[in-house]
Amino acid sequence: MIAFRALVKKELATLFTSPLAYLALTLVMLVTALIFFDHLRIYNQILFLYASNTMGGFESDTIPDHINVRDSVFFPVLETLGITLIALIPVITMRVFAEERARGTDELLLTLRLSPTQIVVAKFAVTYGFVILMMAGSFVYPAMATVEGGVGAEHLLAVFVGLSLHAIGLASIGLVCSAFSSSQLVAAVASWAVGFVLWDFAWADAFVSDSVGHVLDLISMHPRYGSFAEGIVNVEHFAYFVGLAWLCGALARFSFDWRRVAG
Amino acid sequence: MTENARRGVRVEADALTRRFGEHLALDGVSLTIAPGEAFGLLGANGAGKTTFIRCLTGYLLPSGGDVHVDGVSPARDPAAVRAKIGFVAETSRLYPELRVKGFLRFAAGARGLAGRAREEAVARVLEQFALGDVATRMVGHLSKGFQQRVSLAQAFVHDPELVIVDEPTGGLDPVQQDEVRSLLRSLRGERTLLLCTHDLAEARQLTERAAVLARGRLVAVGATHELLAGDPLAMFRAGAAA
Repeated sequence: MIAFRALVKKELATLFTSPLAYLALTLVMLVTALIFFDHLRIYNQILFLYASNTMGGFESDTIPDHINVRDSVFFPVLETLGITLIALIPVITMRVFAEERARGTDELLLTLRLSPTQIVVAKFAVTYGFVILMMAGSFVYPAMATVEGGVGAEHLLAVFVGLSLHAIGLASIGLVCSAFSSSQLVAAVASWAVGFVLWDFAWADAFVSDSVGHVLDLISMHPRYGSFAEGIVNVEHFAYFVGLAWLCGALARFSFDWRRVAG
Repeated sequence: MTENARRGVRVEADALTRRFGEHLALDGVSLTIAPGEAFGLLGANGAGKTTFIRCLTGYLLPSGGDVHVDGVSPARDPAAVRAKIGFVAETSRLYPELRVKGFLRFAAGARGLAGRAREEAVARVLEQFALGDVATRMVGHLSKGFQQRVSLAQAFVHDPELVIVDEPTGGLDPVQQDEVRSLLRSLRGERTLLLCTHDLAEARQLTERAAVLARGRLVAVGATHELLAGDPLAMFRAGAAA
């Protein structure tokens, strides 16, 4: 436990002395703000059109039910944020293992008497903590929807859990890509590729049989993330992200055994 | 620490073999290093020295044969072997973004030292390797010579019974080389030392016995001064020509 704690402290120090961490935090907040205010602008334009004389104005009950902050701003922002995270999270995860290998410090870590399992768990835990921090920062604007959007606190909590699980799922994919590479660029590109492929297989429905389509749907991230965004905390969807994290952790652990054999 | 531990550990390689695909990096190497001995592993670049060390630390699994540290195989129980060793890599493999003291605290903590024991161990190596003046500086801002001292300090922070040093003066200027060699000389005799080098003068200064590797095979073993008395380069060349 002492060794594990020392490693976690070192990981935190390494992460927060790197400009990349602050850059990623700033970037995710800026991107979320841009997405949020863009959707808000469009919403306001729609409201303006409905409010103008030619369309009846506010007093005439002509504004359709679906034109509200929740459906026009909150949900679209989360949808766009979900895809944006696929691009942003590998920026954080690409260096975690690959940088150690490139520097040769992975050998130092192992000779310091740290087991591969301790190394993997510490690196995953610190990265998960960081992406949850990123999500908390990015959640400020969608949370503003609670003020006048009909989104309750419980719904908001479910959305935050979903957003964090989605980020953790993407971080897990990024970490396992980093664990099998010595190049940060290769790790990032692989993470983007896997993240985008796993995001949604709805496009494949027209080309594959129902049974294959069902399997593809089971491994897609979007349906799970979308469910949380609607305020539904489903155990099955929760298990999907936990399972993904466990699988990626096991693969990252395997990368150490593989390198002992392959060199 | 017991008297027995002070004298270091015994290292025994028995027909140690390691392949990387078709390439045979170590070919049935058998040798013994006595407890407390300063032993040199010599050879040209690519002779198999680093591969030998990596098998010894458990970083790589042997393809055949085995190596034992006090009877324990790093392939089977790497944690038990790593508890006994301090390792200084070929180039200073450190974390440039950490401060010297912070890095040494991490190295001590990762070896299971906590609280007062950790602080005492860090203070001891800071003094032993003359790092007190740079303790609060970033590792990446230090000269290569100081970085190598930091690398040595982390290897000694838990008072290991076996110290493995891979090309300790590579990339250093003559003054820095002399400093590092003086440090290593002062530490001889307290523990088993395995020094990997292609620098013959370094081997002559720092080791009592040595083995020469060439193309993964052991071509000579004996007292260092006898081994290097003739034409040691011929052994390197013979291996390269084989």
